[in-house]
Amino acid sequence: MRDFWKDLATQWRVVGALLIREIYTRFGRNGLGFAWIVFEPLIFAIPVLLVWSVVRDPYEHGVALMPFLWSGYLPILLFRHIGARMLLFVRVNAGLLYHRQVTIFDIFLARCLLEVASNLAAVVASFTLFYSVGLLDLPRDLPMFYLGYFFMIWWSVAVGLIVGGLSERTEWAEKIWQPYSYLYMFFSGFFFLAEWLPEGIRGWALLQPGFQAYEMIRGGMFGNAVKTHGDPAYTSLALGVLTLLGLVLMRQSRQYVVAE
Amino acid sequence: MIKAIDVTKEYRVEGRWHHAVSGVSFSVSRGEKLALIGRNGAGKSTLIRMLGGVELPTSGTIEQTMSVSWPLALQGGFQGSLTGNDNMRFIARIYNKPFDDIKAYVEDFAELGKYLSEPVKIYSIGMRARFAFALSLAIDFDCYLIDEVIAAGDQRFHRRSHEELFEKRADRSLILASHMDEILKSYCSRALVMHHGRGSLFDDIELALQVYNDL
Repeated sequence: MRDFWKDLATQWRVVGALLIREIYTRFGRNGLGFAWIVFEPLIFAIPVLLVWSVVRDPYEHGVALMPFLWSGYLPILLFRHIGARMLLFVRVNAGLLYHRQVTIFDIFLARCLLEVASNLAAVVASFTLFYSVGLLDLPRDLPMFYLGYFFMIWWSVAVGLIVGGLSERTEWAEKIWQPYSYLYMFFSGFFFLAEWLPEGIRGWALLQPGFQAYEMIRGGMFGNAVKTHGDPAYTSLALGVLTLLGLVLMRQSRQYVVAE
Repeated sequence: MIKAIDVTKEYRVEGRWHHAVSGVSFSVSRGEKLALIGRNGAGKSTLIRMLGGVELPTSGTIEQTMSVSWPLALQGGFQGSLTGNDNMRFIARIYNKPFDDIKAYVEDFAELGKYLSEPVKIYSIGMRARFAFALSLAIDFDCYLIDEVIAAGDQRFHRRSHEELFEKRADRSLILASHMDEILKSYCSRALVMHHGRGSLFDDIELALQVYNDL
């Protein structure tokens, strides 16, 4: 048991060191540096949200457009950024594996933590901004909103694990990820609720854990104003299976590592 | 003690499996200094990377009961875009050593002066060798894995590394790959001669060098 706590302490130390290193290498040590963590996703999000809110009808299906777009777009950013950061992540970090206590799991954890922290900071910052100018209201059902966002993070991380693991063994993973991560926007649930889909398609669409997470986020955002179909039990189970698959793929990819 | 048992590493090259290391077994106990001798491509660096835990063997096992350094080589182990100081900070953190002690030791041994605040990628091969060597001495391992880097340094660096590894740390082990007979003879007592991925052990370094030269 003592060994376990010691290992855990070592792992946290390593992940912490990797996080700091990742921040230095990605954002630099001077100027804005750390602040980029918040600004980077905001630079994406704000123009896109403003353009969408101008070109589309402010109320579609009786739902206010701005909260709908805001709660749709930030998860997309998270999903795409985590996936992109996981492509070939073992290979590009092979140099770190020179140090025995650094495992690919630590590198994965550090990268995900930074990506998630950056996204959450952008959620808070953009919300504060839009709230203060009256474009957004507080989510009606906050716990449901948090639960949905939690599942969205889990979904992005699980897909990241799978994409990362597969990309080490076949270049197809990278080739498919690029168009997929873009097209994902159209079937993810960014633009629609399950309720708006024809009944025959709805059941199939809801097999996607990411769509389930969207349903819960929307349920949290709009409360009783919309009917949503999120199922936390199914989502946990599906994500558990995907995470396990991703962990196995990542573990196997260690075998393919060729150091510089 | 570090012990390699029937260690094999295969890579896929142009669609075919190529044995970089085939069925190599040996052990190095505390204080022993082992030379790795072989032509370019004989499998020395691959073996060192496996001993350091950077790459995993395709089959076979590596057991260790002492702490083993990362492979000190001309490449790897550092983030080129970060400065020497930031690399030191990272390594101090993951090995849980006080940064100030490490910095003081590295400043004294590597003699890099203001270059420590420059990115590692601009270091010359000799500077990089001194930096890697100083840092691993500062962390203090039981066994050092050295792939060629000693040869990259100047006479002063040779003298100082010899002093550190033999006079101050005579009880430490060493696994050293080099093409310089003089360095091998002055550091090592035993040798593993590698040829096409296979290894033969010699207890006499002179004999090993002779066998290698006759290959």
